[in-house]
Amino acid sequence: MASVTTMLRSAGRADAAGWRRFVPTPKVLIVGAVIVVIGYLAVVPLYYLLWGTFFGADGFSLAGFGRAYGNDRIVGLVGNSLWFAFGAAILSLVVGTGLAYLQVRTDVPFKSLFFAASIIPLIIPGILYTIAWIFLASPDIGLINAALKPIFGGAVVDVFTVWGMIWVEGLHLSPLVFLLMVAAFRSMDPSLEESALMSGASRWTVFRRVTVPLVRPAIVAAVLIMTVRSLESFEVPALLGLQNGIYVFTSRIYFTLRTYPPDLPAAGALATGLLMIAIVGVALSSLAGRGERTYQTITGKGFRPRPMELGRWKPVAGAAIVLYFALTVVLPLLVLVYTSFLKFYRAPSKDMLTSLTLENYQDLIHTSSAMTALKNSVLLGVGSATIVMALMAIAAWIVVRSRIPGRKLLDHLSFLPLVVPGLVLGLALSFVYLRSPIPIYGTLFILLIAYVTRYLPYGMRYAVTSMHQIASELEESAQVSGASWWQSFRRVLLPLLAPGLVAGWIYILVVSFRELSSSILLYSPGKEVLSILIFEQFENGQFPVLAALGVVMVLTLVVLVSVAYKLGAKVGLKQD
Amino acid sequence: MRSNRAVRVMASIAGLSALTLVAACGGSPSQGAQDSGPTKAEKVFAKLSKLSGDEREKELVKEAEAEGGQLDLYTSMTSDVADAVTEAFSDKYDIDVNLYRASSETVLQRILQESGANFNGNDVVETDALEMYDLNKEKLLADYEGEGRDKVAEDGRFDGWTADRYNLFTPSWNTKMVPKGQQPTSWEDLADPKWDGKLAMELSDYDWYLTLREYWLKQGKSEDEVDKLFEDMADGAKIVKGHTVMGELLSAGQFAVASSNYSYLVQQVADKGAPVAYQPLVEPVIVRPNGFGLMKTAKHPATAMLFADWLLGDGQKALVEEGLTPTVPPPGTKNVLESVETVDVDVETLGEEEKKWSDRYDKLVENGTVVDQ
Repeated sequence: MASVTTMLRSAGRADAAGWRRFVPTPKVLIVGAVIVVIGYLAVVPLYYLLWGTFFGADGFSLAGFGRAYGNDRIVGLVGNSLWFAFGAAILSLVVGTGLAYLQVRTDVPFKSLFFAASIIPLIIPGILYTIAWIFLASPDIGLINAALKPIFGGAVVDVFTVWGMIWVEGLHLSPLVFLLMVAAFRSMDPSLEESALMSGASRWTVFRRVTVPLVRPAIVAAVLIMTVRSLESFEVPALLGLQNGIYVFTSRIYFTLRTYPPDLPAAGALATGLLMIAIVGVALSSLAGRGERTYQTITGKGFRPRPMELGRWKPVAGAAIVLYFALTVVLPLLVLVYTSFLKFYRAPSKDMLTSLTLENYQDLIHTSSAMTALKNSVLLGVGSATIVMALMAIAAWIVVRSRIPGRKLLDHLSFLPLVVPGLVLGLALSFVYLRSPIPIYGTLFILLIAYVTRYLPYGMRYAVTSMHQIASELEESAQVSGASWWQSFRRVLLPLLAPGLVAGWIYILVVSFRELSSSILLYSPGKEVLSILIFEQFENGQFPVLAALGVVMVLTLVVLVSVAYKLGAKVGLKQD
Repeated sequence: MRSNRAVRVMASIAGLSALTLVAACGGSPSQGAQDSGPTKAEKVFAKLSKLSGDEREKELVKEAEAEGGQLDLYTSMTSDVADAVTEAFSDKYDIDVNLYRASSETVLQRILQESGANFNGNDVVETDALEMYDLNKEKLLADYEGEGRDKVAEDGRFDGWTADRYNLFTPSWNTKMVPKGQQPTSWEDLADPKWDGKLAMELSDYDWYLTLREYWLKQGKSEDEVDKLFEDMADGAKIVKGHTVMGELLSAGQFAVASSNYSYLVQQVADKGAPVAYQPLVEPVIVRPNGFGLMKTAKHPATAMLFADWLLGDGQKALVEEGLTPTVPPPGTKNVLESVETVDVDVETLGEEEKKWSDRYDKLVENGTVVDQ
């Protein structure tokens, strides 16, 4: 209602004067520009992908589907993929949500650990994180197994199984869920929970019947993103699954793009499969998001999130956090730090302590492109995170609040890049911008466009989830009091959206440092980024140097993200 | 009215995107390059090819300077090798090298994308045999003649490209897990059940697979015998993605034997003191050439040619210093391939039947069986 009135009012004069003398208001301009930009970014790679899938040299053809799916083992493949993807999604969801709840809503101890636990696994490149876990949990050389052997008499954990894959991928993804859910819990009015408690419900019942339903849009978004992400993930299945012949769906995309000419139709057919899964997911999530008033907890009534007392559960929760922190951060990071001081990896022993070396860090300093790469990565990370979240703040308003017909389409559009494999995105962008009259190819801009495109879906989920929780009455009262659309957006909505926007910004900043699959095709000499450097050290076989680079990346991003948190805390809802 | 406008906004995105794409897309994404008469660069190559010796070098240096002292190089050399090579070249001739580095598949894709749009991104490309073969098939590489090329063994001189280094596939092992004397001494040894659970195979080494297979067939083994050997190898094998990971996990003891790693990668880890070895070499050593080609559309043709001459001359020293196997061993260096039996990767079969062998190898490592298509 509110938006209809605003729209009518803002364009009222123009209406009276008719179309020809229509002067666009800032609102129409901004909203229009955002729709055009998102539409353009999302459609270009998808168009390329679908065209490549259905139109070969001989016109329309479905042969790609035959090559992609016409395989007698496809059932096992899909089965493994789904088992792995859902497993990882559920693990990350349970862990991420539980921790976010403890962090935001309770007086749990060790809150400062969350900060590190929520970003460090995101920073460590997938390949390093996975190899660190091989060194920890391989039945042959795993340190955990070596430590437990005297007690159990054999290897206890095996990372080279589907469960191992779920474990590593789930833990690697859980920070994303954590960030998403923290934003959701922060925007939730705890008085609802308090009323339930007062009425005699147990804490568990409150969590199950009140808390979870209130954050359902965020949960649905998280499951959706995690599942698609796991279906697409390559490092974990490639390094852990293949060793014992566990093949998943996406190893296929790698195979089909490996040969020359790249089998774009087959890769596209596989990506189309992912697209179908994602469409079903988006449909389900908008179904779950129906009747949005249900989730609106930031209303005109004032509230102040107050931590719930855990009482006798406090030590248990504290232990769970320390355990999580140890598993996701301390152990893998220790392995990396340890490896970064070695000449080559070997299990810790007394005599190796004497051979520790700083050589790898020196190598890094002497890598000529290291500083350029660091600078470019920071520029691109900050740039793409800011652009995506700015676009998405408006887009979320359009999707959730406006009554523009086809607004849901925008939601779906912005989800599309998630299903386009990175390499295909790189091919699509180079294809388009090599032919563009504006000289974008060969500059940092083409990477910026790639990153913004890749991270649209995440930005959209963060922003839309937060927007769902803000009641329209706040905006309406601002407008009734005479504020323009832009004023009420900037002064009322934006500050309320801030926790979600900051969380999304941090996420994009962090993962952009790792982006490789599209960067590798699009970068030009002098425009290297950190992930390219990692790839090079990896190809060189310099695993200890790579570990050192990983450690440097973790330190850089921890500093950057700390600053973001501090700034974010100033604009967001005040905690306690 | 309101909704009309909104619909128009939505329609205009579709329109705009479609327009951009139509404008951008001259043809299908898989369109190749076209063929016409000799390019400007080709004429320069032809003219300079007639020269030789010092006169040639002098003229190349002069013209390279006139071209601006810049070289655009795309390569899949690992970065430490690429850095060493480009630095040595820059030092000698005072030419700036703009270096793009990626895996061989990506280098190929980038050049194809660029040439499809008539964008001249590079003067020289240096990468794996298979990708060089494909680039030549796309008619993107110019002829290169000179004393340097003549020194390369005949099986390293291909249409459109010239081998500048060799990658050697050979089994390697962890010396702590495989006592001296117990290591594999023939390729057939890898099929021995004693390596079940201890042998690693690489996910994409179909070039190795094809070559060893052809070699065995030529030795008089039957198809069935050869398939059985590979099946026994793959049975119980640990499958690894990437030669680097293979070397790293071998030294960490995740497996005892790696079937098909590059010798120089194993040497690098061994140089750091890791318990890995690949000598005495299992024969025949499987040799895959890596080569370079001059682009028909080179913006700096004389500089490109200067680089090519140098790479097959002094540049070979730089490669040796980085632990690689040169195609023209510099005087005073030992030719490791002289005293051992070698077999070359059949580049043409690989190039023409890539999909077939990639699929076969893929199925072999996937379920340990050889499946005919």
